[in-house]
Amino acid sequence: MNRILIALVGSVICLVGAVFLLNRSDSHRPSAARNHSEPLVMFCAASNRAVMETIREEYEKEFGRTVQIQYGPSQTLLSSIEISGTGDLFLPADDSYIELGIQKSLVAEVLPIAKMHAVVAVLKNNPKSIKSLKDLDQKSVRFVQANPDSTAIGKVTKNVLAESGQWEQLEKATVGFRTTVADVANDIAIGAADAGIVYDAVLHSYPDLQAVELPELESAVSQVSIGIIKSTKQASSALHFARYVSARDRGLLHYSKHGFQVSKGDVWEDVPELSVFAGSMLRPAIEDTIAAFEKREGVQVSRVYNGCGILVAQMKAGQRPDAYFACDSEFMKQVPDIFPESTDVSKNELVILVKKGNPLHIKSLKDLGREGIRVGIGHEKQCAMGWITQNTLREGGLQQEIMPNVTVQTPSGDMLVNQMQTGSLDAAVAYLSNAAGATEFLDAIQIQGIECSVATQPFAIAVDSPHSQTASRLFKSICSSDSEANFIAEGFSWQLKASNAK
Amino acid sequence: MKPIRRHRSDLLFFMIMGGLSSCFLLLIILMLAADLMFTSFDDFKAALLKPEIQAAFRLTLLSCSAATILALWVAVPLGYLLSRYQFFGRTVVDTLVDIPIVLPPLVLGLSLLILFHISIGGWELEDFLRNRVGFPVTYRWPAVVLAQFGVATAFAVRTMRVTFDQIDPRAEDVARTLGCSRGQAFLLIALPQAWRGILASATVAWARALGEFGPILVFAGATRMRTEVLSTTVFLELSVGELDAAVAVSLLMVAMAVVVLLLLRALGTGPSS
Repeated sequence: MNRILIALVGSVICLVGAVFLLNRSDSHRPSAARNHSEPLVMFCAASNRAVMETIREEYEKEFGRTVQIQYGPSQTLLSSIEISGTGDLFLPADDSYIELGIQKSLVAEVLPIAKMHAVVAVLKNNPKSIKSLKDLDQKSVRFVQANPDSTAIGKVTKNVLAESGQWEQLEKATVGFRTTVADVANDIAIGAADAGIVYDAVLHSYPDLQAVELPELESAVSQVSIGIIKSTKQASSALHFARYVSARDRGLLHYSKHGFQVSKGDVWEDVPELSVFAGSMLRPAIEDTIAAFEKREGVQVSRVYNGCGILVAQMKAGQRPDAYFACDSEFMKQVPDIFPESTDVSKNELVILVKKGNPLHIKSLKDLGREGIRVGIGHEKQCAMGWITQNTLREGGLQQEIMPNVTVQTPSGDMLVNQMQTGSLDAAVAYLSNAAGATEFLDAIQIQGIECSVATQPFAIAVDSPHSQTASRLFKSICSSDSEANFIAEGFSWQLKASNAK
Repeated sequence: MKPIRRHRSDLLFFMIMGGLSSCFLLLIILMLAADLMFTSFDDFKAALLKPEIQAAFRLTLLSCSAATILALWVAVPLGYLLSRYQFFGRTVVDTLVDIPIVLPPLVLGLSLLILFHISIGGWELEDFLRNRVGFPVTYRWPAVVLAQFGVATAFAVRTMRVTFDQIDPRAEDVARTLGCSRGQAFLLIALPQAWRGILASATVAWARALGEFGPILVFAGATRMRTEVLSTTVFLELSVGELDAAVAVSLLMVAMAVVVLLLLRALGTGPSS
């Protein structure tokens, strides 16, 4: 009995000891987290471990925040995120898993990191002299591939070669399909295979292997990106680390060293300040979205709202905003060297604003030419609205009649609304959105039959912006459904299609 | 003539038996030799000096031991009940015990993950443990122990049941006729006789826990210095093409297993048994 008792007590003591030691090691994790309540949790593809560990160490050293990284196969990690509903960041082996995450509403923001090209991996000095796709279809060559159904490289290879009609031949030449790209490289490294298709970045950690680039695989490219998990409770901290990883002078330096073809990436700043120029009329529609973006991202957005003519003049004088949201595409066209590409987001209609109840019975533009009516319009050189107004008047053949009644030309529609409210104007030609906040005092009369009375608002990111990625995420916020609702509430019509928003 | 013929016949017997047995032993030896040839002492030393591998070693040792003790606490009574008593639902219990053995390892991890995170009327086990008890499980060391426990216990129960099956219940019956309760008969008669079986059970449980990989990866993750055990280290090193390190860690696991198994065998053949 004594022996049994000793064994029982001994096992209890051993268990308590083991639990104590396990708990102690758990509480002795790196102390960097002390400044922050919760460490960041990141789910990362095992293939990125070497580079990510270096980045993590540097980040923890620089900012004193702990990042706990869980490594594993991308699909397993995605399943874990879905089931557990935990974690802050997700970095899979390639973008196909990010896409899956977005489809399942698990991933919010996505920051691009690098590209990987499919190449044929062979032993150093290419002992089998593989130079083309045909060389793989030889009896003396043991050729392996990653599974085309479950791996990204397999899928990309199959898609590209199926298009050129070469897939079937290569499939027949394959002696085995492996479950990961690392397995393919390992097979060649240990001599179990002579050649296999892998990503070029994978070969960085295999000094005994070399890449053979084939023209047939030139378009077989996959993107590596880091995603923010939608359910994260510390979005700005997660984005802080994601920005660090994808910054050209921080994380991307390490990715480049590890053989990845890195994206352009932003310049690193702890709290980046994004400069956005936007037409005055857009302020009510975008202000809430920008404020929410600042809060989530932990960045500052300095907004300059003004007439587009003035904004364009400032840019021509040398100012370089990161993004420009113009009142009309005509003003975007004036700065093509800074903003070569833009996306139309919304449209705004020119209307005639009159006092509530329309006491002067103004029904069309023609009525603005009546004697004694004090009219306000936008300045044609200072804002898009003024420029469009002049076009509209010209098109309607009313310029000569109305211009004598124009008592004021302002650089923005808001000023016209203010003057209408003070009673210094009887009517004003402004955007419908300008009237959205003053419906208690003003009525809007539609201008009919003149097509050019509608302005289109394009958004563009400066070609040389050091914060182009942050700016593109701001654009995504502007494209969101919440933002769309704001635009519509402010009298704009939504132009953006889902494909553009992507 | 007869003894010579018998001697020849015995020789043939031992040659066939030894030959067949040596196939397996040779395979194991050749695999280990190949591993040793693939890596070098420097790689092995470099791997052992890595702090993350040292942490994985420590976690593996502690978690396997904890899982083994827990497995024995469950396996001994359950094995005894299944061996000695016919009760309602015995077949079902017997089948349920085998499920962790039959299940693919990843499924076990996934099932544990779902169990801790499924919301039942707004109540979630992990939430409860994290916020009310202050003892979160998922992605921490308890998840490692639980995943190892799940599989190790199933094997331990099987071993314990066979052990009790082989012990004649008559001695316990006699003890009961002399005034022992069932509990006393179990503690004083059955358990001391099952000592070797318990050690065998511990050996199997510990070895299973050491090799466990899939459920840990899914349920506990593979966070460096936190939930990374040696089996996940091998997987992670392979994923980044560090074959030398992967082989070195594999050999370390072999060494660990050999030491622990020898220790348990020594206990089993010691004077106490």
